[in-house]
Amino acid sequence: MAPVDSAIASNLLTIGAERLALLGKHHKALMQGYLDGFVDETAFSEGALKKLIAARILWRPDEQQPLALRPLVSELIASMVADENRRQINADVAEKLEQIRNRVQAYRDAQYKGDYSVAELQLQRLTEQVHDLSGQFEEAIDSLWHRLNSDFGFVASLDDKIRENERAQKQLRRLLDGLDLLDFNELIELSEGNNHLRKLLVSQLQNQLSSHHSSLLEVQKRLVELLAKFRQQQARSMLINNMAAFLRQHPKYQPADYPNRTDVPVLFNQAAIIKPHAAIALDKASERQILADLVRALPRTKATQLSETPAASFAQQWQDDAIAARQQALKTDVENFYLRVIDHGGKLSALDYLAQQQLEWDSEIWLYQIIAEYQALPLDEKQMFAIVRDEAPASSMNQLLLIRDISLGLKAA
Amino acid sequence: MLQHGPLLERLLAGEFICCITDEDAFRHLSVEQTQHDINHYLRPLNRRLVTNDDNSVFFLGYHELTKDAREQLSGQFAITVQSLLPLLEWLQLVQETLGRDSALTAGDTIKLQEFILRTEDNQSLRQRLNQLASDRFFNSQSEQLDNQVKLIFRRLKEHGYLLQPHQERQYYIVTGKIDYLIDVIRFIRDEEHLPVDDTPTQEALI
Repeated sequence: MAPVDSAIASNLLTIGAERLALLGKHHKALMQGYLDGFVDETAFSEGALKKLIAARILWRPDEQQPLALRPLVSELIASMVADENRRQINADVAEKLEQIRNRVQAYRDAQYKGDYSVAELQLQRLTEQVHDLSGQFEEAIDSLWHRLNSDFGFVASLDDKIRENERAQKQLRRLLDGLDLLDFNELIELSEGNNHLRKLLVSQLQNQLSSHHSSLLEVQKRLVELLAKFRQQQARSMLINNMAAFLRQHPKYQPADYPNRTDVPVLFNQAAIIKPHAAIALDKASERQILADLVRALPRTKATQLSETPAASFAQQWQDDAIAARQQALKTDVENFYLRVIDHGGKLSALDYLAQQQLEWDSEIWLYQIIAEYQALPLDEKQMFAIVRDEAPASSMNQLLLIRDISLGLKAA
Repeated sequence: MLQHGPLLERLLAGEFICCITDEDAFRHLSVEQTQHDINHYLRPLNRRLVTNDDNSVFFLGYHELTKDAREQLSGQFAITVQSLLPLLEWLQLVQETLGRDSALTAGDTIKLQEFILRTEDNQSLRQRLNQLASDRFFNSQSEQLDNQVKLIFRRLKEHGYLLQPHQERQYYIVTGKIDYLIDVIRFIRDEEHLPVDDTPTQEALI
């Protein structure tokens, strides 16, 4: 290599290293500047600012504007941290191709002249450029995948996501167009008669680009799918909002009587529930043992004589037959409620039952009678039931507990 | 047919089967032969499998529309129509409360505690929830936010719109029945030419 070149190279090395060190020295303030869009000048000494500007890390886009990171530095950071909001995609292939052509020419010229050290250097640069070209696609594809896999989570609203998706699709089309610019016949011609060039420009580049090409197509497919999904979500949100608004504006709205059309739309063909019930069958001898065990597990009721004074038998105190009849009816309904609890097995709310059966009793009377009936039970039968009162204080000032509801269930035997 | 016994029972009990409520059963139901077998089995019961437009949810309908069947369908339809607005308002409320950018879809998870926390601090959400809870469809008597929310979610679970994977844990998963609801709305909208848009206008796109 010529001595002049090595002087330049060593000069470059010192300057470059110094300036890269500047990035590290001020990393926090610069990163803050990246996030804010401008840098806080008070965070640096005057000397440091001058150095940063001279190093082309910071610049002042306009007299009135604060200092900011140069676009190339921002881009570098965006790529390093995969910040999809700021990451740039470079789809310019024509320029790179032009450079490659020129380099090949320069390399060939140097070889022709027998200047091998220059030729070596040109080949080195050419290799870098080819890698750059491939790396440019790789970076773009990485960015696209990253955005896809995060479902465009870096923007907040669905509308923004749709716009971002469309932008990504445009980028992708430019990248594909860029790939089309690469004409392998031309590259084969360029590398004719030279093994190094053929390896670099034809076999290696072709391999890489064809894998980029298939990646891009895959990304494109996924982007289109995702866009369709976004649009579907958008349509669904709009349908929900607009239909709700319509129904609110037209509270009396009644759709047509679809169930009585000749052709009932399938959506409204929703059949009534059938619950298969089964009962004990004694016709299989093999199952008798199991049944016997089940029967034995039932809670046993002792045949106790009910005393003649159930607590809730108001009936005798009243002379009025009508009231007595009503009282008896209430008692029967409550008894039915208890029977239902026994049949049902699980917990049953008294008020739910009242509403379900559409009984006309006042809910307070109803609850009273249920408690009364419970109190009237003999002790061992009382133990069969779990009675839970749903209570709440009368108000925040008054600690008196009001019973809101009662739920009754069977205790396990 | 024996292997589909539990599935048949669930279908007969009026459940909507989607890939959220029962992934295996849903996969079985998506096979044409199984559909055929089940329909054959259900024929004497005057039932058949019905599915929505995009086959994302299955339920049972009548095979033959007898007079009784139509009566039942009319009743069912009245309930569906009545429940439209409260369900739509609930969908809107959840979307806004949880700050989601899109409407709920099958498979989405809702954490009850998060929903309550966010509603608590916001007077207008609080009021809307209050109103929704007292709607006939949910029919809450309580004044307390906690109880209202729990009741709303329990009712939605009963109606098959939500699935609670763990009895004790207060989080719910939206089922495919929500897709059915959207299909119903879309159907009514199309059929009755209601002025209800679902495609963004050109300005919204720009």
